Amino acid sequence: MDELIEILEDIQPDCDYETCDTLIDDGILDSFAILSIVSELEDAYDIRITPADIIPENFNSAAALYEMVQRLQG
Amino acid sequence: MSFVSIEFMVFTAVCVAGCYMIPKKYQWVWLLVFSYIYYLAAGPSYLFFILFATTATYLGGLWAEAGARWAVPAVLLADFGMLAFIKYTNFILGNINGLFGTNIRELKLLLPLGISFYTFQATGYLLDVHWKRCKAERNPFRFALFLAFFPQIMQGPIGRYSRLAESLYAEREFDMARIERGLYRIVWGFFKKIVIADNAVLYVDAIFDNYNTMPGYGIMGILLYGAQLYADFSGGIDIVIGIAEMLGVTLDENFTQPFFATSITDFWHRWHITLGTWMKDYLFYPVSLSRWMGKFGKWCRTKFGKNIGRALPICLANIIVFLVVGIWHGPAWHNIFYGLYNGVIIGVSGLLAKNYRDWKKKFGIEKDSRLFYCFQVIRTFILVNISWYLDRAGSTHQALIMMRDSITKFRIGVDIIDASSTWAGSAYAPLIAALFGCLVVLIHSILRERKIDTRSLLMKKPVVIRCLVLFLLLMSLVVIGNKPLSQGGFIYANF
Repeated sequence: MDELIEILEDIQPDCDYETCDTLIDDGILDSFAILSIVSELEDAYDIRITPADIIPENFNSAAALYEMVQRLQG
Repeated sequence: MSFVSIEFMVFTAVCVAGCYMIPKKYQWVWLLVFSYIYYLAAGPSYLFFILFATTATYLGGLWAEAGARWAVPAVLLADFGMLAFIKYTNFILGNINGLFGTNIRELKLLLPLGISFYTFQATGYLLDVHWKRCKAERNPFRFALFLAFFPQIMQGPIGRYSRLAESLYAEREFDMARIERGLYRIVWGFFKKIVIADNAVLYVDAIFDNYNTMPGYGIMGILLYGAQLYADFSGGIDIVIGIAEMLGVTLDENFTQPFFATSITDFWHRWHITLGTWMKDYLFYPVSLSRWMGKFGKWCRTKFGKNIGRALPICLANIIVFLVVGIWHGPAWHNIFYGLYNGVIIGVSGLLAKNYRDWKKKFGIEKDSRLFYCFQVIRTFILVNISWYLDRAGSTHQALIMMRDSITKFRIGVDIIDASSTWAGSAYAPLIAALFGCLVVLIHSILRERKIDTRSLLMKKPVVIRCLVLFLLLMSLVVIGNKPLSQGGFIYANF
């Protein structure tokens, strides 16, 4: 989880990723940031994220992202 | 049947009234029948195209859900193939003739009403089923209504099945408050269309049609074109959403005060929102996450380092998306350059995002600085207006000439139009009416930007006040609206 938050802070700083669960709903992450995160996650966790995975439920919080990563690893 | 016609108003009134008189379980059938009557009234020959898209996509959805791997590409090819053939064959033939000196005769192709909108809606549905975001619709007639729902078929908004289906097929109760809210929205849409767009278009057409003989009016022309385009398109969408609201159907919003955008990216989040989100979900993400783009990204990271390497493929995907947006706007090179202009600005902005953050820190610009916000809004407004030279002009050459003359031969005035041909017999009156309309829309936009729901506010006022507001809006259509053009169509109905 710490590594994931580090990735998020590198791409889009100035956000409290520990608590925020409206990253998409509040427009904190735009499509550019989402794809940057996807690119980093694919490299860091050796997973493949498809367009079907790009839904707000998977990107609204660091916890949701972590859950998606674990699901795709499994 | 134009929205701005007595026939359409009667048609809508009968549809709304009848919808609440028949048994609830048949309400969606009622909407389907009226939708097809509306479509037939536009031209029986158009019927084939919408029936083809409906049948192909309905079957495609069922096959895709059953796991047929070929279904999605085959139906996408069929839907987009039909759209591309009708819309772009003559453009391609014209370019072939120009390039090779051939004389291939252009085809007589009619653009069926709303074909872009229902094609996008259909293909979005198919991909949603394929990606398991929604279940395939079993009933072909219910699916037919999803594509043909008459208020939105002409100019959108482009609906998503997962959001639209619930209210489209719901059994609805008569609700006077909802009818009243819908009515306000419709009259507001007519105000924008008839007072702003139909007055502004007099000057816009004159300036763009006579750019050679009366040069220098470009800035006036482009500012009025911005007002015309916004009032025409968002006014039309207000009418669509208002009618749907009366019928108990909730449609997605298509505009959220685009002239308050702080960047071109933000502008496209506020302007023609349903097209932007369609492009993002069904083109931008699939292109960006494709295997070849992944390989390109890896190559970029080894050549340019982590940050630029990560951003470059996203820039390229943005440019591809806006190239498609440009092509969608019309089969002409100036539209393609219009798309590329937007794509390049958004792409480069993304590439420099980290630098912008560093520069803001360096110059001590606070996150909530009002001054910086104003700077961003004005900068975006200028960039958007530059792009509209390419959108409105008849050719790239004309756009460039007009941009140059706007500066070197700057002129402003109303002598560009013939006073005797206007509704008031004055060359000033339509301009003053359009500017008055813009002022009213600006005040409304400021309230909306501050999250104030103006219709809810109005609904809390006494009946006398509500009737007065409605009366004033309707009177403005009669007194300062441009009557001769009020029978005209909407710009985006031609897409």
